[in-house]
Amino acid sequence: MRGMKMMHRKKRICRFCESGDIFIDFRDEKRLVRFLTEQGKIVPRRTSGNCNQHQRQLAQAIKRARHLALIPFVSDIPR
Amino acid sequence: MEKLYCTIFIVDISQNPDEVETISSRIQQLIEDHGGIIKTNNRWGKRRLAYALAGKTHGSYVEIEFNASSRLNIPKILEGEFRLNDRVLRYMTYIIEKEELVQRAKNAGKARSVKEETPQPETPRKEEESSEAAEVAVEETNEISETSEANEISEASETEAQPAEETTEPLTGNEPENEKKEEGE
Repeated sequence: MRGMKMMHRKKRICRFCESGDIFIDFRDEKRLVRFLTEQGKIVPRRTSGNCNQHQRQLAQAIKRARHLALIPFVSDIPR
Repeated sequence: MEKLYCTIFIVDISQNPDEVETISSRIQQLIEDHGGIIKTNNRWGKRRLAYALAGKTHGSYVEIEFNASSRLNIPKILEGEFRLNDRVLRYMTYIIEKEELVQRAKNAGKARSVKEETPQPETPRKEEESSEAAEVAVEETNEISETSEANEISEASETEAQPAEETTEPLTGNEPENEKKEEGE
């Protein structure tokens, strides 16, 4: 059963590995925003498909960008 | 050990726009006085803040890179200065790692090659770049006319999404649509 499930899964590739980036810059917030939820949370690795190294770098970049008010800590969802 | 530092701070310019000049020159002076060597002084200009800092919605960003020995303890000196100055809304000093420099050189090379090609960089550089380019194009059109906005975006997203699916589909077989939800669980 488990094997079957695995078969159907799409294999995700780390976007940063694909583009060959070594360092994720916190200055380009447009790129970081892609890896945030609507609320401003960091998207988990299992959803984004990032590799371990890049996910860590990304998390650091996001935190730096948040500190410098480039991206929000929380963005309100209008209800 | 000799290190490359980067300090970024946000200056409140709501009362006096010249504040940027005075503060950044003061910081530079401080760095030089304590034995640091300034490499670049980059001003991002006035920007909208993602959230209000001390009730301000806009601020001017200044970025200074400098070389210094870690024994000089310059980040600490700068922090003291920033904390005392209430025109500085936020500050951050960090050590620039080797990876960042390599990445910058890489990006600069890329930008140059794109400029040289001028017409359309149709090089097989994977989907990501092309999608980015599409996004930029969409943004530009937004500025010009907001009416055609919706059409443009839908078109762009369609063109982006389709090739990606086609390339990856054969592996997956059926149920391609619920995938994301499944994976989230």
